[in-house]
Formats: sequence, C-alpha cells, structure tokens
Amino acid sequence: MRLLLILLAFVVSGCAAQPDTTLRGDPLDVMFLQMMIPHHQQGVEMVALAKDRAQDDELRMLAAAIESTQASEAGTMRGWLTSWGEPLTAPPDSHTGHGGMRRSDPEEVGRLSALRGEEFDRRLLNVMIAHQDDAVQMARWEAGSGAHREVKDLADRIERSRTAQIGMMKKFLDRA
Amino acid sequence: MKARNRLALASLTASAALAVAFLVPTTTASAHGTMSDPASRVYTCKQEGPENPKSDACKAAVAAGGTQAFYDWNEVSLLDAGGRHRQIIPDGKLCSAGRDKYRGLDLQRADWPAKRISAGSLTVTYHASAPHSNSNFEFYITRQGWSPTQPLRWSDLVHLQTFNNQNPTTFTNWTLNIPQRTGRHIIYSIWQRVVGSAEAFYTCSDVDFGGGTTPPPTTQPTPPPTTTTTTTPPPSGTWAAGTTYQIGNRVTYNGVNYECQQGHTAIAGWEPPNTPALWRRL
Repeated sequence: MRLLLILLAFVVSGCAAQPDTTLRGDPLDVMFLQMMIPHHQQGVEMVALAKDRAQDDELRMLAAAIESTQASEAGTMRGWLTSWGEPLTAPPDSHTGHGGMRRSDPEEVGRLSALRGEEFDRRLLNVMIAHQDDAVQMARWEAGSGAHREVKDLADRIERSRTAQIGMMKKFLDRA
Repeated sequence: MKARNRLALASLTASAALAVAFLVPTTTASAHGTMSDPASRVYTCKQEGPENPKSDACKAAVAAGGTQAFYDWNEVSLLDAGGRHRQIIPDGKLCSAGRDKYRGLDLQRADWPAKRISAGSLTVTYHASAPHSNSNFEFYITRQGWSPTQPLRWSDLVHLQTFNNQNPTTFTNWTLNIPQRTGRHIIYSIWQRVVGSAEAFYTCSDVDFGGGTTPPPTTQPTPPPTTTTTTTPPPSGTWAAGTTYQIGNRVTYNGVNYECQQGHTAIAGWEPPNTPALWRRL
C-alpha cells in the first residue's frame, strides 16, 4: 500500500509521466511548490536563530523580516497544493531527475546554534546568501517555465526579493 | 489541475512500470557532480573539509564565501542554462557559474592546489553523485599567457573536446588531448543536461605545466568601505525600496494606503500588497 501511495504521488506530481522532457507547466508548478515549502522552512529555522544570537541590529531586523515573509509565503504555497489536491511533499528524491531538492544541510542549524556575536553573524550571512541563491535558481526556472500565473508571480517576487537580500547581506559581510 | 490529475490517474497502470524504472536509479542519488581529476576547486576544498580546509586557497575561499558551497560541492550549476552559458555567466565568474553561493571559487590566486600535467593525452574523471543520462560534456583549457591572478573570461578559454550524448556513471573518464602550455592553467568543463532538465554544471580545475614564474603573493583588493544610508521615511509617502520602515509608518503603493507591521528595510519583491507579514492595508 505504501508503495502504491508513493507511486501515486509520483505520477500525480508529473515526474514519471514525462521523464524524458524538460519539466514545465503544471507539473513544474507542483514540483516548485513541493521543493520550496521545505526550503522556506529551513530558511525560517536558520534566521530565527538571529533573535538571540546576532550582534548586528540591521541583520537582526532583516532576519526577522525574512522569517515572517517566508512563513507567510509557505502558507500561500501550501494552500495552492491543497486546493489542487496535490501532496505537500514529494517522495524523497523523486525530483532528482529534474534538478533535485536543493536543501541546505540540516546540520547547519546545529552549527549556527553554537555560535554567538560576530562569529554567528558571519556564518548566518554566508549560509543565508547560499540558501537564497538556491531559491533564486528554483524561482528563475518556475518564473520562466511554470503554468499558473499566481505561482509564476510568486516565483518572480522570490527571485527579486532574494537577489536584493543577497545584496544587503553581502554589504553586511563587508563591514563585519 | 483536475483534468490533469484524472489523466494521470487513468494512466497510473500504464505508467507504473515506467515510474518504477525511474524511481530505482534516483533513490540512492541526491544531487549531481563535478570534476574529481584533475580536481575542481570545489572538489578540492570539499575533500580538505569545509570547516577546516588545509590549503591557503581553500581557507580564503571559505573566508570569502562560507562553507555551504563545499557541502553542496556537486551543485555548481544553473537550473535554466539550456546552453546559454556565455550569455548568463559574466566574465570573472566562470568558476562560480555567476552564483553568489559559490563566489569563493572565483578568487584570483596563484596557489589553488593544482595537478601537475604536461602536453599530450590526459585522462580526466568526472564524479557524478547523480548521473543523468544523455548529457553533453565540453572541455576547455585557458589560453597560453593567461594567469591565475587575472579574472577568468570566456575569451580565455580554448576548446579542447566535446562529448555529446554521454551516459555518465558515478565516475566517468574521458581522454583529452592537452596542448603545450607553461605555468598554471585551468581546465574548464561544462556538463549540459539534455534530458529532463535544462540544467548545466560548471567546473574549474587548476593544473600546472611547470616552468611558470611564481607571481608575487596575491593581495585581495579591499572593497571600498560601504556607507549605509539610512533614509528617514517621511510620516507618509510613497513606498520606496531602500527605505527603512518602523512599525506604524504609513505609505501609499499604487494609490493604496498601508501601515507597517514589522520593522524592515524595503526591497524589490517586498512590495506592500505582497507582504501581509510586513504591511497591513488600511
């Protein structure tokens, strides 16, 4: 039964149907959302650490704003998948053939948690630049080849806001 | 969506065998790949250990861009490349594929760990943690006269060989015919997937032919001090990126009034109608 469920989720998510073609349209929308929800969640977990650990006030403010905006976006994304009757998460590795799950190392939260002050600031900035750079990659693909207007619009906002965040974070690093 | 789901469900039986065939090879794999011999910069620093790299170059790369790049050593890639490498990767950023995550790989240094090679045939190895069938691999070498303390530009690359319609395994070898060079050079590769994705992977492997002059130690240019301009928002005004807003500040955006719910510096993509976490419509 479990295998059947996995297969069902897999087929519905559109991967198996066309393994030989570049993913686009409805199946890309689904994959994008299924990949971005856990990615957002990981980002939220990392920036949430800034509240008690960051030294730089501007970094703390940016981290808090990233935390609340990404939590809100994740809610919107879950709502779309639910309304389409699609699973919120894809079977592990089912998207590897199309670009994989770009997820930061879960152990990073542990490594960050152990740091304080300037050391924490530098590590969080570098990790979040990498994390948001991954988000830009996924968003660019969806914005260019997705199907639903509202999903493509969100992807476009993700691409622009993460690019701007990376710019801010690089400035923070330069002065750290 | 609904119609597509019905179609997908109807074809479940027919697709089951295909799905199984597709699932099996992907369950053990999680990502992609890079050159392992001569080792690419990302592979070298990953092998040294992201948290405690040994070489000065890897230490500098981690200092410049953090450790995450080296945990994700097999993803120096662009998802939507589709063969447009020269259009989308700027000169000077070829080793990072233009990605901020991998910016440490673009450091212009003459001390990146390099494999000693000479002209003639050279067997290179690509380590693919997720081999994708039907892929094209292109190999290049820097022109005679290029120096590792200069930015790597597309025009610095001389084409060596291209292998199309390849079905890579975990470790795949190709034999390249290497021309005469002196000193340090880079072997550059592009892995363009053809099936299932437009994604392409990029690698910079440092090699040393010997006989080169050792340039003086490189000093990284210090970026000019950045001055942070904190704009004091007017009590009310038009929303503007770059402005820092505090709770209670009011703005207009496209003729609609909003009140700030959480202190933040406004950026493109965080316009008030799209960020209910930051702005409340009045």
